[in-house]
Amino acid sequence: MQKPPVKEAIDWQDIHRRIDQLSNAIDGNWQADPAHVHTTLNRRARELAVPLHNATAAEQVMELLEFSLANERYGIGSAFVREVCPLTQFTPVPCTPSFVLGIINVRGEIISVVDIRKFFALPETGLPDLNKIIIVYNDAVAPGKPMLFGILADFIVEVREVAVAAIQPPSNITGIRADYLLGVTANGLAVIDAEKLLADKAVIVDENV
Amino acid sequence: MKWSVGAKIGSGFALALVILLAIGVSSYQNTSSMIDAAAWRTHTYAVIADLEHLLSIIKDGETGQRGYIITGQSEYLGPYKDAVSTVRPALDELVTLTHDNVSQQRQLERLKPLIQTRFAQFKSIIELRDAKGFDVAVASVQLGEGKKVMDEIREIIAEMRVEEQRLLKIREQRADEDTHRAIAVIIYGIPVAFVLLAILATLITRNIAEPLRELAAGAVKIAEGDLTINLKANAERADEVGALVRAFVNMIDGLQHMAAVAGRIAAGDIRDKVQPRSPRDVLGNAFAIMLDKLRAMTSEINSGVNVLVSAAAEILAATTQMAAGSAETATAVSQTASTVEEVKQTAVLASNKAQRVADNAQTAVAISQDGSQAVQASIEAMRRIQEQMESIAESIVRLSEQGHAIGEIIATVNDLAEQSNLLAVNATIEAAKAGEQGKGFAVVAQEVKSLAAQSKQATAQVRGILGEIQKATSAAVTTTERGSREVETGDQLSVKLDEVIHGLTDSISEAARAATQIAASSQQQLVGMDQVALAMQNIREASTQNVASNKQTESAAQNLHQVGLRLKQLVEQYQV
Repeated sequence: MQKPPVKEAIDWQDIHRRIDQLSNAIDGNWQADPAHVHTTLNRRARELAVPLHNATAAEQVMELLEFSLANERYGIGSAFVREVCPLTQFTPVPCTPSFVLGIINVRGEIISVVDIRKFFALPETGLPDLNKIIIVYNDAVAPGKPMLFGILADFIVEVREVAVAAIQPPSNITGIRADYLLGVTANGLAVIDAEKLLADKAVIVDENV
Repeated sequence: MKWSVGAKIGSGFALALVILLAIGVSSYQNTSSMIDAAAWRTHTYAVIADLEHLLSIIKDGETGQRGYIITGQSEYLGPYKDAVSTVRPALDELVTLTHDNVSQQRQLERLKPLIQTRFAQFKSIIELRDAKGFDVAVASVQLGEGKKVMDEIREIIAEMRVEEQRLLKIREQRADEDTHRAIAVIIYGIPVAFVLLAILATLITRNIAEPLRELAAGAVKIAEGDLTINLKANAERADEVGALVRAFVNMIDGLQHMAAVAGRIAAGDIRDKVQPRSPRDVLGNAFAIMLDKLRAMTSEINSGVNVLVSAAAEILAATTQMAAGSAETATAVSQTASTVEEVKQTAVLASNKAQRVADNAQTAVAISQDGSQAVQASIEAMRRIQEQMESIAESIVRLSEQGHAIGEIIATVNDLAEQSNLLAVNATIEAAKAGEQGKGFAVVAQEVKSLAAQSKQATAQVRGILGEIQKATSAAVTTTERGSREVETGDQLSVKLDEVIHGLTDSISEAARAATQIAASSQQQLVGMDQVALAMQNIREASTQNVASNKQTESAAQNLHQVGLRLKQLVEQYQV
């Protein structure tokens, strides 16, 4: 009977040492390496850095809320945005057009939610998250009784400023969507004409329907 | 010329008969004409004689008259009286003789009154004499009337004689011509007929005899067995010769057909089907039967020969193998004999070795008992390792569960980060609404947002690490499980090893006993080997003889096979 080939012997002592170290760290006696912390923070800062917008006085600037919907990035003027909130629970409303998802309760206030994919007649491709709501409003038309509804979004990216001159009119976009777009920025952001959207009669659901 | 041979010969003969008839007729005619001519000559002479007789009668009358005148005696009247009595019959006879001649009849008619007149004159003169005497009578005569009539009569008779003479001449001339013609017919006709008949005979003979001779020559050739003769030249003839030639041609065709069949049979092709030319075709029937029998026979022979050839081939193969085998056997026997010698020596060695093996086996028994104890210890160790492995596996599972708890916590943190992000966005919007005063607040909101993003990143990293830990623990569990199994296998192997060692010990004990027995047996073996060596010597001699006889058998089988092959070739020449 032959002996099996002998493996390299396990360094049990080294293993014990490493386990002790880890135990100490978990007990709070752990001190991070200052150099490591510094480099990590620097790296993160670079990743998250937003280029400074050198707005000159002459240049007109528009503040946009950027969000993602059905794998496309949209921007909507932040002036028309009241707030954003997560979609936790909604109630479907019968006898409404298909683009109306239903109604939600935001701090006691009932707000209707619109799926602009359906409103724009976009193809419903992929598996969207659809767990964010952008509440838009316009107080200017009828003060005291503003137009108000929520827009469904996959996720919210950020708020940023864009030069009005940088928004190009939509050229390769057709259909209903084109009517509600102000234009497209150089980096492919479709800017929604919130004013028009809020003024649209189609969004208003007649109670008699 | 579509005449039969009979018609040809008949026509030749008919021509000959016609010529013969022509010559006969001509001769007959000639002879009759000559007879006629003679008759006519006689007739003519008779007429002339009668004429002379008539004239002489008249003269007699005259003479009587004259005598009487002169003499006056009645005795001189005798010729006259005779003449009166004979003149009429003579005249009548002339009329009868010349009834076929119109001119003579006419002359006779003229003559008759003249004669009557003359005789009347005679009578009157005589009467005158009687009455008046001589002088008156002479005076009456001197008148010359009588002479005148007499001259006329003479003239007419002379004319008639001349006429008869002329007719005679004409008839004789005609008879002469006939005779000449007959002679000419005989002189020229016979040679011409001869030549004509000769030519005809030659033609007919050649026309019939020539083909017959050719046919005869052909028949002789056929009799000699030569069938290449060509008789087609006369086959078209419609006569009996043509029929004969056609019959011959038919016969030759039949013979040639038979000869061809026979030739093919000779060449070995007996596939022909001979149709007998008639139920009485002896040769054809014989050929047909012969072919049938030949076919049957050849088929049978063929199959027989095939069987023979294959049997001979098998025998040959068998004997060859046998010869080879016996040669090998002989060699093997020789080798075996020498091997037996070697084996004998080996047996001696084996006997010695067997003793040593028995000793070694005893030692092996002791060693194997030690081995058995060691294996028992190993089994114990394996059991302990198994327990340790189980505790390791449990620890790892616990570790994995704790990792999962961490994952849940991380999910909560991620949710918080998400909400923080939304809050930051809302804050930014609010700050924007506040205008210039909200600017600082906007910066704070931006910071909150970046913190939320960092939290999210951190949670993602933690989740990744947790995934790795999960994988590592899974691998560890799997490894531990495998180790546990290995240990189990080791345990089983140890148990089996224990059994094996026990078995080994038993076997070795058995072997020791067997070795002792082997030593005893090998002694007996030695004695047996001697006997085997002797037997081998006998076998060797026998196998040598065997080899020799097998060689003979092989050559005999070879010959048989050759004969079979030759027979097969011979039979294969016949195509059935």
